[in-house]
Amino acid sequence: MRIFSSDHKVVGLQYGVTSLAFLLLGFLLILLVRWQIAWPGEMLPEFYNQLGAMHGTIMVFLAVVPLAVGAFGNYFVPILIGAPDMAFPRLNMLSFWLYFVAGLIMLASFFLPGGAASSGWTAYPPLSILATSGQTAWLLGMFVLIVSSLFSSINIIVTILQLRAPGLTMMKLPFFIWSQLVTSFLLLLAFPPLQAAAILQLMDRLAGTSFFLPSGLVVSGKVLEVSGGGSPILWQHLFWFLAHPEVYVLILPAFGIVAEVITASTRRPLWGYRGMVGAALFMGFMSFLVWAHHMFLTGMGPTMSAFFQITTMIISVPSVIILSSLVLSLHGGSIRFTAAAMFGIAFLPMFGLGGLTGLPLGLAASDIPLHDTYYVIGHFHYIVAPGTLFAIFAGIYHWFPQISGRALNERLGRLHFWGSLIAMNVIFMPMFAQGLAGLNRRLYDGGRTYTASAGFEFSYELQAWAAVALGLVQLFFILNLVLTLRRPR
Amino acid sequence: MIPYTTEARTDTGVSNVTLGFWLFIASEVMLFGALFSSYALLRVSAPDWPAGGDMLVTALGVTNTALLMALTAVAWRAGRTRPASARWLLVIASAVALLFLLTLGLEYSGQWRSGHVPATSTFFAMYYTLTGIHALHVLGGIIANLWVIAATTSVDDALTSARLRVMSHYWMFVALVWIVMFVGLYLS
Repeated sequence: MRIFSSDHKVVGLQYGVTSLAFLLLGFLLILLVRWQIAWPGEMLPEFYNQLGAMHGTIMVFLAVVPLAVGAFGNYFVPILIGAPDMAFPRLNMLSFWLYFVAGLIMLASFFLPGGAASSGWTAYPPLSILATSGQTAWLLGMFVLIVSSLFSSINIIVTILQLRAPGLTMMKLPFFIWSQLVTSFLLLLAFPPLQAAAILQLMDRLAGTSFFLPSGLVVSGKVLEVSGGGSPILWQHLFWFLAHPEVYVLILPAFGIVAEVITASTRRPLWGYRGMVGAALFMGFMSFLVWAHHMFLTGMGPTMSAFFQITTMIISVPSVIILSSLVLSLHGGSIRFTAAAMFGIAFLPMFGLGGLTGLPLGLAASDIPLHDTYYVIGHFHYIVAPGTLFAIFAGIYHWFPQISGRALNERLGRLHFWGSLIAMNVIFMPMFAQGLAGLNRRLYDGGRTYTASAGFEFSYELQAWAAVALGLVQLFFILNLVLTLRRPR
Repeated sequence: MIPYTTEARTDTGVSNVTLGFWLFIASEVMLFGALFSSYALLRVSAPDWPAGGDMLVTALGVTNTALLMALTAVAWRAGRTRPASARWLLVIASAVALLFLLTLGLEYSGQWRSGHVPATSTFFAMYYTLTGIHALHVLGGIIANLWVIAATTSVDDALTSARLRVMSHYWMFVALVWIVMFVGLYLS
């Protein structure tokens, strides 16, 4: 197999292997964080901040999206629509290698003086502009990654619309294909504003401009000598204009994969296909109109808040339509409880929990006390970890025979499933209680200097052990991959 | 091997190259849209903002606008000419694009000499950033032009024609963005 190949299956596998490696790395970073929170030790706050920022960045941008779109999209979109390859194979290859370079830049940033980016995955100014050079590497990495995502999304959209087999009309496409199509449109249109924002922040850091720096900013007791007149809130608008559609980039392909897995395991067609397609399209459109629900604390005023609260409540409807259709698809089926089916079915209540706990965050009155607490972390991790990641695991178990000609071991697969399900719930469930008590998400000692943390020491320790267990359970998966691939076909 | 690369698919009515290009332009609109929105937001929230005519050399801006108009006309012609003769039109277009960059460079160096750097004020920060990103698009266009010219002998005429047409639309987009910038920076 050639390393520089433009074959969509090779590119898909390259995306898959690289992003699984990043998934493991992102997990190991947060394992250190959980350990530090449970038993605060020698770790410097600066290093703790790097771990948090890079965990978020790696998981969202280098692991989950490349897995869901880069790996599953590139590998299965041409196969499921009967196309010979992607529409622009060389562009596809370039997209992977740009992603690879972006990943290398992010990794290399750990070795810079002052370490990697430490201003959170959201890179809010003014903190991010005053941060060490790791932030510059972060911005460059994001820039390259966005170019990669641009090429990939153009490719997927053109492939789906143009290279469908004759007679395969749009309403006959598998729901998986629709989910990839809507996702690609979100990537295409939502990422460029972040690219613009990254350029502006690079200018602030390297050329001394003040796009995001207000006048009269005092740092360490001194007024910062910059021209001023900038707006930190502007960054938040540009960032969330990407990052809210990004949430749907994380979840839509997961819906698509679960739809495939569930229909295969129940041996029944999807319930409510047309409604699901309509919901996915509506969700994609609405995802551009909800971004400021991340910004209720910026003082943007009740009129703006009211608008974004209403759109946020509206966008929960299509998610419910899709989730209900998936649940109803189980009805009357004779389900084979394979590892793939278990991951796929467990996705439904886990994602449901993540979605429901998000509603209080979409309303300003309840979001303001919960903002930046562990409650928020619990909410979106239920969506992405036992949500999207479970869907991705379901997809890997489901399609592995088609990729390699061998099925993964079921017993190891079930151990992987039950272990992950229990460990993830032990990690994320206590976060709701911690957040409701008011514990802030970014405290390197777990907030022990605040009274709100009283009584939570035990849950911190439980979460740390569960994180270790979650890591160990993944060994079943890695072992399964290795053993299966070594077996003759 | 890949169908519909240059010929239109009957039910969608477009070729892969055409559709891919317009998707690219859609993402570019979002990029410049975000930049222009940032400009508008920072400008309206500033207590005072200099008039572009007092800060920038309008004559050079007008020259560059004219150059891009001429460039668009030449590239448009190239998009509707046989590949063999279109090559020379693309060479001319690239030369005009180079002149545009030189004029911009002239203005940059003049501003720099009078102490107007990006860190001077948000006005100059915006001026350098917006025109700089646009200049990168002009540079990218020149490279793409040369790539199309170099590939005319190795790919069939249908693909070259499709590429020429894409380039003619690309230059039109670049000129359009410039006009918005010219009005926003120099004339207001």
